Amino acid sequence: MATSRLQASLRHLSKNYKKKGRFEIGIASELPAAYKKFWHEWKVLKPVAVHFIPQEGKWKRDELTGETLPIQNIPIPLKFPNEIHDGIWGGEAVIKGFQKRDEKRRRVPHYWVPVLKRTVVRSEVLNTHLSVTVTDRTIRLINDHYGFDHYLLKTPACDLISMLALKLKKQILTELMNGCPRYAHDPAKQKSIYEEYKTYLTSYTPEEIEWYGLSWYEALSKIAKQKEAASKPVPLKNMYRKALVEKLKAVEIEESTKGNDELEKTTSWLSNINPFGKKDEA
Amino acid sequence: MFGLCNFVKKLATSGSTPLNQQIRNTFILKRRTPLPLHKKEGRPIKMRSRHFVYELIQDTNVLKQPDVSIILKQFVNGVGSAGDKLTMRPKKAYEDFLLPGLAVYATPENVEKYKIDENKRKMDDAFSSPYVKRTIRCLSYIVLQITMSKTQPWVLEPWHIRASFRKSGFFVPEYAIEMPPHEIKGPDLTLQSKEFYITVTINKTEKVNVRCRIHHWATGLERLPWEENHWKKPYEALFPEQAQVLESMPLPK
Repeated sequence: MATSRLQASLRHLSKNYKKKGRFEIGIASELPAAYKKFWHEWKVLKPVAVHFIPQEGKWKRDELTGETLPIQNIPIPLKFPNEIHDGIWGGEAVIKGFQKRDEKRRRVPHYWVPVLKRTVVRSEVLNTHLSVTVTDRTIRLINDHYGFDHYLLKTPACDLISMLALKLKKQILTELMNGCPRYAHDPAKQKSIYEEYKTYLTSYTPEEIEWYGLSWYEALSKIAKQKEAASKPVPLKNMYRKALVEKLKAVEIEESTKGNDELEKTTSWLSNINPFGKKDEA
Repeated sequence: MFGLCNFVKKLATSGSTPLNQQIRNTFILKRRTPLPLHKKEGRPIKMRSRHFVYELIQDTNVLKQPDVSIILKQFVNGVGSAGDKLTMRPKKAYEDFLLPGLAVYATPENVEKYKIDENKRKMDDAFSSPYVKRTIRCLSYIVLQITMSKTQPWVLEPWHIRASFRKSGFFVPEYAIEMPPHEIKGPDLTLQSKEFYITVTINKTEKVNVRCRIHHWATGLERLPWEENHWKKPYEALFPEQAQVLESMPLPK
């Protein structure tokens, strides 16, 4: 009897058990929807095919047999070294694999690494020049988008990949949200820049901008700090001191009013006295 | 020896396969063994080692990139004036014009924004051509040597100056040359250590003063002795009214 019940519960568990996700464990469950949206844009969305040519369409026909087969584009696995976060590589990354250099020889391990260059990019909104590590593809994308700011703002986080690009995007969005304070000395330019870039603000709320471009640990520490600040204990001595001061003040007011009353009373009492009256009257 | 021969032969015949050296470029790869199909909406099949053997299809870094169109925001010496639409190589456009803020990308909005009325522009523009500044600079720095006869009598005329300009590499029409205020006659050896200036009009608009010196030419025993770096030495003005302008003009170093 007992064993069958155990089996049943096990069956039930195995059917209904769902592994907890990233956003369901510990303090991460308190992260706002704004950060979840950013995370989805950064890590879940599929990036543009950079290192392979995807096949078009849904189905294809086998030329030999005439069989209809589905098209499944499985991307080439990429490696993201730490250096990717110091530059803007335009979607490129390192590929680890093998080369078959000769039919009769064993395959050879090989890393395909993008060519990195240090160059300058100009940000219109931030009104600065930045020296960054880029690839030729980045410069091509900047030219295709007609400017660095347009490139950052139009490209989703899954294609930017690097922390540097995401932080810059966040800074640009914050700057736009505040109405370009860096151009305060030139109101005409400030207005023209704001007009040019304001369309990008429509896809973000202020909270989403606040949570944009944060890494997982930054987001966690941010929520932890917020929580701590919200539930900060107030020292009891401060509370008691406040209460005491209020009490003392109340007593003072009371006393002052009382004193007035007494004075009035005494005057009334004095006026009531009639030293020349008869004993009964007093 | 045989092995070496084989190696060389192999190198020579390996044209069909891509370079065996490490290529550090943007590359587009292809799996040598395609992945087998997986279930609809299922997980992709676990990859084996053979699925990591790649072939290079294309190297995008060696492809020629298309030109970039830009619009100048201001006059650039030797390039063009504000509002000019230019098409050039992407690297040059990016590094020399877009980064310093001399130009903007030729987007449809920018084309509208920087559109300039042709008639109005001619009135406003400071220069008649983008190369005028360069020409003015070149002309104001030279010392024009006018070679005249030491034996035959002559009077200095515009065609003498035109010929001297041609000798030093400038093609100046005669109507563009404005002669000095007084006539110069020779041969006169006192002219040898004097200088004067003439005025050249470029494109019938811009005027530039050119420093001139007369050299008396003869052959044989009558030839004047050679002088070293004579163009670097300051000379006395031939006409006192020109002295002040000549002093302000730069001498070649």
